[in-house]
Amino acid sequence: MNKLTLLFTGILLTFGSAWVGLVAYPVANLANMEPLPNEETGGLIPPTLSGLAVAGQKVYAANGCVECHSQQVRPDPLTTDIAKQLGKRQTVPRDEIREHTPFLGEYRIGQDLSNYGARETDVAAVHRHLYSPQLVSPWSNMPSYSYLYQYRKIVGQPSSHALQGLTGSFAPKAGYEVVPTQQAEALVAYLLSLNQNYPLPESPEPTAK
Amino acid sequence: MSNDQSSQPDTLSSAERSAIDSSVAFPVILFFGTSILWLLLGSIFELTSSIKLVWPFFLDGLSFFTYGRTSIVSVNALAYGWATPAAIGIGLWLTTRLCRVPLAHHKLLIASGIIWNLGVFVGVSGLLIGDSTSIPLLNFPAYSTHILLLSFALIAIWAVMTFLQRQSGTLFVSQWFLVAGFFSFPWLFATASQLLVWNPVQASAQPSIAAWYAGGFFNLWLVPMGLAAAFYLIPKSIGRPVNSHHLSLLAFWSILLFGAWSGTSRLIGGPLPAWMVSVGVAAGVMMIIPTLAVALNLHFTLEGHYAPVAWSPSLRFIVTGVSFLLTTWILSAINSIPSVNSVTNFSDFTRGLNLLGYYGFFSMIAFGSIYYILPRLTGKEWPSSCLISWHFWLALSGILLGASALILGGLIQGFALQDVGITFRSSMDFIAPFRFCAALAAILIVAANLGFALLFAGLLWSTRRSGATPTLIAVREENSQEPVAV
Repeated sequence: MNKLTLLFTGILLTFGSAWVGLVAYPVANLANMEPLPNEETGGLIPPTLSGLAVAGQKVYAANGCVECHSQQVRPDPLTTDIAKQLGKRQTVPRDEIREHTPFLGEYRIGQDLSNYGARETDVAAVHRHLYSPQLVSPWSNMPSYSYLYQYRKIVGQPSSHALQGLTGSFAPKAGYEVVPTQQAEALVAYLLSLNQNYPLPESPEPTAK
Repeated sequence: MSNDQSSQPDTLSSAERSAIDSSVAFPVILFFGTSILWLLLGSIFELTSSIKLVWPFFLDGLSFFTYGRTSIVSVNALAYGWATPAAIGIGLWLTTRLCRVPLAHHKLLIASGIIWNLGVFVGVSGLLIGDSTSIPLLNFPAYSTHILLLSFALIAIWAVMTFLQRQSGTLFVSQWFLVAGFFSFPWLFATASQLLVWNPVQASAQPSIAAWYAGGFFNLWLVPMGLAAAFYLIPKSIGRPVNSHHLSLLAFWSILLFGAWSGTSRLIGGPLPAWMVSVGVAAGVMMIIPTLAVALNLHFTLEGHYAPVAWSPSLRFIVTGVSFLLTTWILSAINSIPSVNSVTNFSDFTRGLNLLGYYGFFSMIAFGSIYYILPRLTGKEWPSSCLISWHFWLALSGILLGASALILGGLIQGFALQDVGITFRSSMDFIAPFRFCAALAAILIVAANLGFALLFAGLLWSTRRSGATPTLIAVREENSQEPVAV
């Protein structure tokens, strides 16, 4: 290997081959996916996100939720994700088209959230969980997102948005209330939108064995 | 043994060598010095994150210090603040030595060093205030990655100009790795930033690109730069040529090919076409080829000459670093097998592998290289052999404790996550004691880094000129035939 040009060409070919396969191919073939029509409801699959949930994606990214929570259901029989009821079917590229960045995650320091919205539907419960995770599960090692909430003195009527059911050491003092900021409202809207329980032809639900 | 020119580090006279070394001193010290500050900051954030995993109430409820932010600050500060500038510094010095030309275009490099650190500072601040992109290893917000790429463009221009001015002759194996690293990094970084951050493509196409980048950042950037240093400094320190030209060739091309394709093995079962995962799995397992080629080649180079590892700081760190690279590659190859990956994926096993690869391999090689390079740039010797010894043992015990805890604990956690009969809560209980060990290991690593920072500052401030005796960490054997490296 005496020639710089020979070396350079070789690097170009090896490096370029992976670039074509793993970068150019998906850009050409996977980056123009359309949602499918949902014949039952007349809507789209996957459903379009609300504006608030789109704002919630940014809050999810800003606070590094993806550092602990994955969002991918892997297929049977390679893994037990479906048996453990993380979802009913494998996550596929079309599931991601509603996202700006796919929050696939590398760790399950916390639970997988691909179908969080299918397990949880109560807005107030999600707020309580974000504000004081240890109130909901004393063993949880999730950080508190209390900085997304305003702790304030009640002036006049208590806010209708104020968190209910905060008990023990998490309860606000008498005359005070905990009110979600817009960021918290957006994050909750996004979390509740996480629900892949719609049929996709490319990802059939595994049939019972 | 091959007598091919590509196996000989260099044939410069000592006068030429010191002229080249002093010409490159300022920019290289700039890159090293700033990178050590980021190393300290990054490892302190890593320690904070490790404590939070054990005890979530530590600094809880503060937006700047929530786990999701401290953990990405540590990863990105270490990747772009420490590892990348350290790799650049080593690369600059090696390039001038191996191209046998004194450094030209100082201002270009100094400017790029300042711009780079500005970019990292802006990026880390962005992460702390909540502008993360949430893409692994590309968390920095768009406004800082533009600055980083501008800086690296200046370095790449300098590297091309230097290579074109080089004195003719065969390219030494380290030069292949330097060309590969300096070529791959901007391509990786620009492609991934453009397609994922600046003008993101639809999210359905993003997973394989992100995995390609994360795999490439290690195997096509840090590995080539680290091995360039190892293939130059090991032969230099023992006064023998690299054992086999053919093994060097095999290692080089197999790293480039399989390293480039192996990224998607981290997405087994993920939302991307099955063939991409299959290719990633195949390439990931094939990484066993460069593992063997590097191991055999460096072992046969060192065979019968391992003694200086005892007293030469740079050789000891570099040989340790290379062994951790081999460990990382073997474990990653095993981890690329789908049935293994279905257990280890999403567990702390991955954290253990990252510690082995980024700290055990790259940081140890970078430490070893700086121990070698800095006295030659400044004409001064390291102030304390005792502190070097502490640095080594603290770093080594931190890596061994942390990686073994996370890998063993990760396996247990992984089996718990996989088992339908075990609740999620139990998986957390199983991993808890191992995370405690990992937090202890993080303390050792912070202490090691602090020791290194003190040594670095001490050397720059000291006035002790190097005499005939370099700082060694053990008594040199009297009857030894080993040369003192020059």
